[in-house]
Amino acid sequence: MIEFEDVHKHFGALHVLQGIDLRVAEREVVVIIGPSGSGKSTLIRTVNRMEPIDSGSLVVNGTQVNAKTVDVNRLRRDVGMVFQSFNLFPHLTAAENVMLAPRRVRGLSEKAARERAMELLTKVGIPEKADVHPARLSGGQQQRIAIARALAMDPKIMLFDEPTSALDAEMIREVLDVMRDLAKEGMTMLVVTHEVGFAREASDRVVFMDAGRIIEDSPTAEFFAGAKEERARQFLGKVIKH
Amino acid sequence: MGIIFEFPDLYLFPSGLWVTIQLSVVSLIGSLVIGTVIALFRISPIPPLRWVGTGYVELFRNTPLLVQLFFLFFGAPLLGIRFSDEPLEFNFRAALLGLSLYHAAYVAEVVRGGLLAVDKGQIEAARSLGLSYLGMLRYVQLPQSFRAVVPPLANIFIALVKNTSLATTIGVVELLKAGELIESRTFRTVEAFGSVAVLYLLLTIPMGIGVNWLEKRLRVAR
Repeated sequence: MIEFEDVHKHFGALHVLQGIDLRVAEREVVVIIGPSGSGKSTLIRTVNRMEPIDSGSLVVNGTQVNAKTVDVNRLRRDVGMVFQSFNLFPHLTAAENVMLAPRRVRGLSEKAARERAMELLTKVGIPEKADVHPARLSGGQQQRIAIARALAMDPKIMLFDEPTSALDAEMIREVLDVMRDLAKEGMTMLVVTHEVGFAREASDRVVFMDAGRIIEDSPTAEFFAGAKEERARQFLGKVIKH
Repeated sequence: MGIIFEFPDLYLFPSGLWVTIQLSVVSLIGSLVIGTVIALFRISPIPPLRWVGTGYVELFRNTPLLVQLFFLFFGAPLLGIRFSDEPLEFNFRAALLGLSLYHAAYVAEVVRGGLLAVDKGQIEAARSLGLSYLGMLRYVQLPQSFRAVVPPLANIFIALVKNTSLATTIGVVELLKAGELIESRTFRTVEAFGSVAVLYLLLTIPMGIGVNWLEKRLRVAR
């Protein structure tokens, strides 16, 4: 479903992705962990071409993401993305946030889009907030609506870029619960997170990144039983202590 | 009503005021449309469009409005452009065009600032949903910039109303011209131009009040 082959990416002089090889199969949940600045976010942002790659090959849903002929808007319809800072549209209500893409990209009628939005808001547990603007919602509620918004285009893949890093402890749980449900339903997910608990329970594989490289890529159980790489073990030790 | 029988020329005030209102409203809309397009050019990912946008703003903002009006009025016919065959209509259209083009440069800068003030995450979120660049502009970036641009736009539009008085120099019988005509026929200089000033205030002060009201409403909306 997602295939990286020797992918490189620079930000100016900074070599942020240094030869990434990674495969994510359909219905697989892969968690990417690693210290900040290791290139995790950049990595998942290449999947929907929010960041173009410099060299190598990246195939998503059978499409070479960086081919010149690729219709990037079409590609993105199949790849939902959830951001650390939610990025809900403040001028729209919760339901309107969810309805925007189905209406304006897919051309759904307002009624059909509204019905679908209500389904999704129910799924993430806050249908009663449908007509509320984001500014009046908690961070956890905002992030759940952001997930509903990303799901509204019926994506085949969901990308999560540190979805709980901007949240208070009590709100992290409600967001992770939604993500766990999604994983159970068989959504293909690529998740950058520091939530080791989520990785342990909900993921199939854990990828450890450091300095632009994938240092370790192991099935979840094996990874937590004892990471092969010293750096991954050290990092895990630090994260779990907290 | 005696005053009207004494000075039958007073009808010039309402008709001049009406011309000033027409000039103001139409060039306000014109400058808003042109200015927004130029602002979009200025932030466009396509370099030639950015150059056109920058060139436009620099040209129209850095030359006097009066020069631009004279250029349109005296120069356009020589370049083969006839706004109208009817002289008064010609003057009026030249003024409309000049006022719109000039204020559009200022509108463009304000709208550009508003667009750039929208958080980058908003743009990314919209694009990640599969919205095209133009769709993102229309449904996310432009609506969100609206609140930030209302007060500075109001300043531009108040200036525009006052600047319509320059149209008097190219033969448009607007409010100031009406005052001049009345003054020349009655020799009541203080009253004539005093009235003109008051009538401008009647246009501009409600605009300021309207903007304050709009600003408050926009603040409540979020």
